[in-house]
Parts: sequence; structure tokens; C-alpha cells
Amino acid sequence: MGPIVYDQVVKTYGSRAALQGLSLTLPAGKVTALLGPNGAGKTTAISILLGLSKATRGTVRVGEQMAGDRALRERMGAMLQESPVADGLRVREMLQLFRGYYRDPLPLEHLLMISGLEQKAGRRASSLSGGEKRRLAFALAMAGNPDILVLDEPTTGMDVESRMRFWDVLKVYAMQGKTILFTTHYLEEADAVADHIAVIADGQMVAEGTPQSLKSAMPLRKISFRIIGEGFDEQLMLKWPGVREVRRYGEQTELFCEDTDRLLPLVLRSGIPLTDIQIHAARLEDVFQRLTGTHADNGGSNR
Amino acid sequence: MKSFVAQSRAEMLRLVRSPFFLLFSVLMPVAFYSIFAVLNGTSVEVGGTTWGTYSLMSMTAFSLIGTAAGQFGIRLSYERKDGLIRLMKLTPLSTGAWASAKIAAHLLVHLIIIAVMFGYSAIAFRTEMSAWLWVASGLWLLVGSIPFLALGILLGMIRNTDAATAIANLVYMGLSVLGGLWMPLSTFPDWMQKVGSMLPSHAYASVSWSIVAGGEVDWLDVPVLLGYGAMFLMIALMLHRRRENA
Repeated sequence: MGPIVYDQVVKTYGSRAALQGLSLTLPAGKVTALLGPNGAGKTTAISILLGLSKATRGTVRVGEQMAGDRALRERMGAMLQESPVADGLRVREMLQLFRGYYRDPLPLEHLLMISGLEQKAGRRASSLSGGEKRRLAFALAMAGNPDILVLDEPTTGMDVESRMRFWDVLKVYAMQGKTILFTTHYLEEADAVADHIAVIADGQMVAEGTPQSLKSAMPLRKISFRIIGEGFDEQLMLKWPGVREVRRYGEQTELFCEDTDRLLPLVLRSGIPLTDIQIHAARLEDVFQRLTGTHADNGGSNR
Repeated sequence: MKSFVAQSRAEMLRLVRSPFFLLFSVLMPVAFYSIFAVLNGTSVEVGGTTWGTYSLMSMTAFSLIGTAAGQFGIRLSYERKDGLIRLMKLTPLSTGAWASAKIAAHLLVHLIIIAVMFGYSAIAFRTEMSAWLWVASGLWLLVGSIPFLALGILLGMIRNTDAATAIANLVYMGLSVLGGLWMPLSTFPDWMQKVGSMLPSHAYASVSWSIVAGGEVDWLDVPVLLGYGAMFLMIALMLHRRRENA
């Protein structure tokens, strides 16, 4: 099983370009989060990987195989943004039906367990709540015991408990060495779960790396304090080693820097009358905001 | 083969469990059949046979047109909108196996409808025919329903599910009434008779009426019906290609 490689992928819909030469490598056996603001092209990138739409130019490969290959479907499981159910079928019947499509499916009991729908196996799938349908969609994605899992906003529509359970199960699969790609609006999920993060905007790659490397690549740690009375001196502060930016909101001053450990003693010894000193770690949210020029919005969907 | 059987079985369960199926494919045709048969008198002569058998053919045809064109089409439109078709495309099941399982499921359900309608007629109205006529008319109604599945595929291409529901119901009701399934064409004004006699629904029912009357079947009806079916399927395929390439 090789990595998933996007090579110069262009996708246009009429005159609108959803992907503008996206090049991206998703390491095999790792969990990759694909992040980007609404309309960045995340869902388009996923559709092409799944063979649901064709690239206008460029290629997407999984190891030696081209995206869209029939043989790939045997090894891939996916959860799309919508979670359709076959009306008229019970939960158990729908899972059984999907198991039947694959050569080496996971046992029914196992699928019921990961969906958390053991008690509702006999219920009509169409009568499930939105969150339950999401969990069923995840179990359907897992039905063929895939090597590669592709999840488009998997936790949207799940309540907190379902979401926690979902990530717990996913971590187990990640440890088994499955290649997992997911998109999310919840950056804390990407930060906590992903080994690798790729940020795209306007159909192109903006940055990729581990959550740590992305956060440390930018001067996003900061020391904040309030100055009692006079004493604010921007020129002086910019001369302190590692300070990249000084911001002031009323009495509140923020120093953006790379290394807060080195800066802190200097701040304390500066003789400026300070109070309320706080050290802030870099958040993925800030990185995202810097890279894409947008705020991550919670919820909402894009295609 | 195993997944084809499982898929057909699942599609059949889905169809039969739908409340719309019970209402539009079974209850309504049975009710209308009873009304037409009783109002006209089951043993009164019409078209070389009796109202009891004539109406049985009409209303079974009406039910099958509704199931094949209406319900199949509406269902396909919903499956496209809900993303179920997209979900199926992610699985190793081939499109061919998926489509043929759906059609096989429909044909089995059509056979059940025919059995229910014929059984009801035999029990409630003591309809009597030679075994050969029962079998021949039943087989014709089954085989002749295939072109209407093609119409269902075409109606299923409609993206907006509300529009698909409205249009599918209008089309299958219109075809049934104008094709002379509710009242014989001879009761219509001239121009409506002309229009009606050219409809696939009329060709479909007409063959079954001739069979039960023991009269000459107008074999021209068969290519007419086939032609309609081929046309529906071709338009649907053309639309599908155009969308795929968009």
C-alpha cells in the first residue's frame, strides 16, 4: 500500500476552478487532516480520490493505482457529507447488504459495535436520528475492512458523546496502520488526531506538516501583559530577541515571538511595571487563520 | 451472483415495505377494479369479454404502470438526491449489477401484484377463464411492464424530487386515463381516441384485453410498446451522458 498522491490536479466546473493545480502527498499508514476554509476544494479533492468525479487535469494515485479504479473500491471505505440510508431496510439489513459487497468484510457484530447501534439493529434505518445516521455511515464505510478510510466532515451532526466515541474507534484503526484522510471544521480534532495536516485554500496547497511543525513554523506563541501607567515602548520591545510583532489593545500588550522561554526573563527584567502576565501556546486555529486569511467556522457544509 | 441476489432481495423489501406501494400499487387498483366491475356489472359484456375480466386487465396494467414508471422513477430521483446512488458507487458493486438487481426486484414485485389482482378477481368476483388465458394474460402484463421501467428510469433523472413526484404521478395517471384503462377509448371524443390509441399504455392494455377476449391480438401493439421503451431508455442514457461529462 503506497501513499495517496495528488499531482497537479485541476478541476473546473464550467468557468469556476475548484482545484487549481493541487499537489499533495498523504503518507500511507498515517492520519491526515485536510483543512481549508469553505470553498477551498476539500470535498472536490475527496470526490476525485473516491472516483466520484474526474480531474480536469492532473492525476490522483493510491500507490500504483489510479483513483477511480474498481479494484481500489475493495480497499477503500468512505463517509461522505450526507449520510443516506436505504429506506425500508433495518439497520442490520443495511449493514449485511454492504458487507455482501466486499470479499473480506468485518463481522456484523463488530460493525454494530463501532456504530453503537447494537440496541437499534432491528430499527428501520430511516428512523434513526441525524447523529445515529452518521454513526451508521461510519460503520458502512468500515464494512469492507478497508486499508484506506476517507471521511468528509465525519463528526458534523454528531453530539459530543458520539464524537468522542468516533475518534476513539478511529484511533484504534489508525494504530492498525490504516491510511486515514479526513476533513473537519473542528480544528481541535485535527490537532488531536492527525499525524499530518494539509491546509488548502482556493484549490491549492498552502502548507503541510505535522501539527507541531505547522505551529512552530509561525511566530504564534505570545506573551501578554498589562502595563500599569506609562512604560509602553514599541521600539524597545521589537529589539528583544525573537519578538516578531507587538500589538496593543488599550492597556493590554501582546508580544508575538518564536520562543517564549527566552523572552519571558527579558520582559520581567525590563523594569516596565507589568501585571497579568500570560503565556499563550500557538493554536492550530491561529495557524489556520494566518494561512488562509479566514476564521475556521464551526459547522456549516461546503461542496 | 451472491451479491446480485442479496441486492435484489434488499430492493424488493424496500419496495414492498413502502407505504406508497401498498396504497398506489395494491389498494388503489383493487378499489378501482371493484368499483368499475360492480358499477358496470361484472358479467356485462364489453369488448368480447365481461367487465369483470376487462377491468381486471385494465387495473392490473394501471397498477403496474404506476409501480414501474411512477414509483421506480420517484424512488430513483430520491436516491440520487439523498446520495444513496453516490454511496453505492463507492462500493465494489458494479453499476450493472445494481441496476439489474433493481429491475429484477421490480419484476418479481410486478409478478406479486399480478397474482394479488388475479387472485382477488377470482375470489371476489368469481372470474372464470381457462388456465391458459390466466397464464397468457398474466405473462403479457409482466413482460409488457418492462418498457414502463424504462419510463421510470427517465422520470428518475429529474433532479428535483418534488418535481419528480408530481411529474411521475401526472404521467402515469395521464397515461392510464388517456390510454383507456379507466374508461374504454370508445367513450372518448374522436380526437382523444386518436391520441389515446397512440399511447404505450393503450398498446399495453390492448394486448391483454385481446388475450382475455380470445380474439385477435393486434401484434402491431408490441413494436409500438417496444419502441416507446427504447425511446425512454435512449433519452435517459443521453441525459446521463451529458451530466457525466458536465
